[in-house]
Amino acid sequence: MKYQIVIAGFGGQGVVFLVKVLAICAGNRNIAFLGTENHGMSQRGGSVSCDIKIGEFTNPVIDKNQADLMIALEKNEGLRNLAFLKLSGTLVTNAKDKDKYPELPFSGFAKIDAFKKAERGEFPIQGLNVYMLGFALVNDKNFPFSVQEVKDAITSMNAKVAEQNIVILDQAMRDAKESK
Amino acid sequence: MKQTLMGNDAIAWGLIHANVDMVSGYPGTPSSEILTVVQQIKHKLNLNVYAEWGTNEKVGFEVAYAGAIAGKRTCATMKQVGLNVASDALMSAAYIGNLGGMLLIAADDPGFHSSQTEQDSRVFAKFARIPVLDPATPQDAYDLTKYGVELSEKFQIPVMLRPVMRVCHAREIIEMDEETNFKPNIGEFKRDVPRWGAVPRKDRFPQGKEQLNRIEVIKEYNWDNLLKSEFDKCEGKNRVLVITSGTGYGFTKETLSDLDLEADVVKVLMPYPLPVEQMRDRFKSYDKVLVVEEPYPCVEEQIASPNVYGKNTNSIHQIDEMSKEEILKAFQNIGFYEGENIYATPPSLDFEVEARPPALCPGCPHRDVYYAITKVFKKKKSIYPSDIGCYTLALAQGAIDSILCMGASVSMASGFSISDPDKTVVATIGDGTFFHSGIAPLINAVYQNHKFILVILDNSTIAMTGRQTTPSRANKDIDIKKIVEGMGIECMEHHYSYEMQDNIDFFREVKKVHADATGPTVVVVREFCILDRERAPEFIPNIFAKVDPELCIACDQCTTIYKCPPMAYNDDGVIEIDPFLCAGCGGCLDVVCPTDAFVQDFDYLKRGN
Repeated sequence: MKYQIVIAGFGGQGVVFLVKVLAICAGNRNIAFLGTENHGMSQRGGSVSCDIKIGEFTNPVIDKNQADLMIALEKNEGLRNLAFLKLSGTLVTNAKDKDKYPELPFSGFAKIDAFKKAERGEFPIQGLNVYMLGFALVNDKNFPFSVQEVKDAITSMNAKVAEQNIVILDQAMRDAKESK
Repeated sequence: MKQTLMGNDAIAWGLIHANVDMVSGYPGTPSSEILTVVQQIKHKLNLNVYAEWGTNEKVGFEVAYAGAIAGKRTCATMKQVGLNVASDALMSAAYIGNLGGMLLIAADDPGFHSSQTEQDSRVFAKFARIPVLDPATPQDAYDLTKYGVELSEKFQIPVMLRPVMRVCHAREIIEMDEETNFKPNIGEFKRDVPRWGAVPRKDRFPQGKEQLNRIEVIKEYNWDNLLKSEFDKCEGKNRVLVITSGTGYGFTKETLSDLDLEADVVKVLMPYPLPVEQMRDRFKSYDKVLVVEEPYPCVEEQIASPNVYGKNTNSIHQIDEMSKEEILKAFQNIGFYEGENIYATPPSLDFEVEARPPALCPGCPHRDVYYAITKVFKKKKSIYPSDIGCYTLALAQGAIDSILCMGASVSMASGFSISDPDKTVVATIGDGTFFHSGIAPLINAVYQNHKFILVILDNSTIAMTGRQTTPSRANKDIDIKKIVEGMGIECMEHHYSYEMQDNIDFFREVKKVHADATGPTVVVVREFCILDRERAPEFIPNIFAKVDPELCIACDQCTTIYKCPPMAYNDDGVIEIDPFLCAGCGGCLDVVCPTDAFVQDFDYLKRGN
């Protein structure tokens, strides 16, 4: 298997957390992977994009026109990184309903106003990353891991907050199915 | 044992598995996690290891180096610009050498992700005439860390490990030692004055000759142990040979595979010193040899030959980090690939997206202090030199005019005060940077009576790189105020207040004192870091803000001068505060808005935030 995922967001949204979850998913199944993370300056609310390449790869960076999936935790951060997604790939993005969203040429596309849902108290904003992962699980038909594998990875990351994260993941998957 | 690790974690484990028990250094992206992870392993496995930050990279290097002289296995960690600071010590250590192994880790940052230069530490190793190892992946980083320590002990010279950001912050499954049988060397300093106390010219000249001989021996070692087998693997049926160093290997392999091309690829693990003659001999069987490395042409310059292509022949990019697209273009440039650019951006996807530069955190006291400084010391009549740290982000507030390197704010304030005496020079520096390299230039300013204002922003942590402990917070309370007073001058002190007027009033007072001063006016502002879980809660008043839409006149004051991330215009053209981002510092309620449109949101916490 070869599957390349870009996760785009900004500092503080927990982009690196998702890389770790996907890395554990791959590791648990004994599949090789290479990921790359942003540390340092990007902590301060700046753009953060992390790559994870699942399968036999020799460098951790995703080049343009190569990614199978992009999970965008915010609209503009998704648009900023579009060049990395191949046309047969899937984009799942958080974007406000009221904002205009451009027509895009990708095979897979799904968006949701996760900010609005968090504002309404449907899930805590700190769980936005996990929420968008759940949303991607439903909307990317080629997603390389099963729901259970993702849940196991979340549990082994941090057992203390796993329960809450899994609730968010389930909710996102329900929301994704409803909005389909 | 298989473990999922980030490159810096892998290096830390490599150090422990190489029986290194003294690690010293200074934080800097992308190197910072190495020492922190050694500390974590130390506590987890209850190992007797010295793993502590130095006040700067030179200090860090020298502590580790002395350990290696005394027979310990040691390591100094830093980022590439930190090596500039440590370079004085390195250059001499490269003559004198060591008994225990010493690994110098200098992490490079091609692409300027969080560094002011893109310098190549491999070239520094060449300059210092010490061997350097260049890992391509976290697995390499683990293996070469252990290898480097052994090599250093074998050749009695510091060895450099040069991981780039895409190794330090890459993550993969690592195969590492099954068990940790930690057996560090016993430290015992053996007096050898002609060696450890070598003086010019009598002792240093023979050491210089030894250095030259040693490099020749290591070249042969590099060929016999690392390079020959790489060349022997090449079958010779291909017309193109790609010589790679570090990440260049992984990028080249993938590009070849993506483009369905065949070339021989050699992975250079030790890019200096290179056995040039043996290598050139192998080049003869190829039409073209391309060198893929970053960021400088370190290997290329050593092996230069008529059929060698790289940065110096303008065949591959000379600046910015590695990408497969750049390698594809290099293949095109040397006539190896004639197909299309598969890594090009489809033109339909080129959207203009508003930049999102990093900013001071919501609730960061630096923002308020800079705001107060620019209120009191007007732009037209002032010069604002600043320094390296989080507070550099106050650039966005128009509160910084110059940034050079660690500690330069103070000495540049001296220089500006002499060269443009009609302006008020207000320099800013953080406490970490002041300890690192701000003290010597301040002594100079007192010594030479330079008239400027120095504001030391004391948040008692090294915030930018992940809140490492500052000298003032570890053993003793090293007080900046007393350091300044020790120079024979007064140090004004202010405790940051979330009521902006207090900060402004303080700087008005500073202005008065400065008017009558003949030398530097130094102030320390006691702050905290909003991300500092230990200290921040006692300072944050939990006063959350919202905007009274009737009062906002869209004057841009808050979005241009105060610059707090939660503040942005909504669709109605009125400023709105993003409740997810507001830190509850209350800093904007006073002074910041000319129409007082920021008001307290009393229901904020009740809404479950």
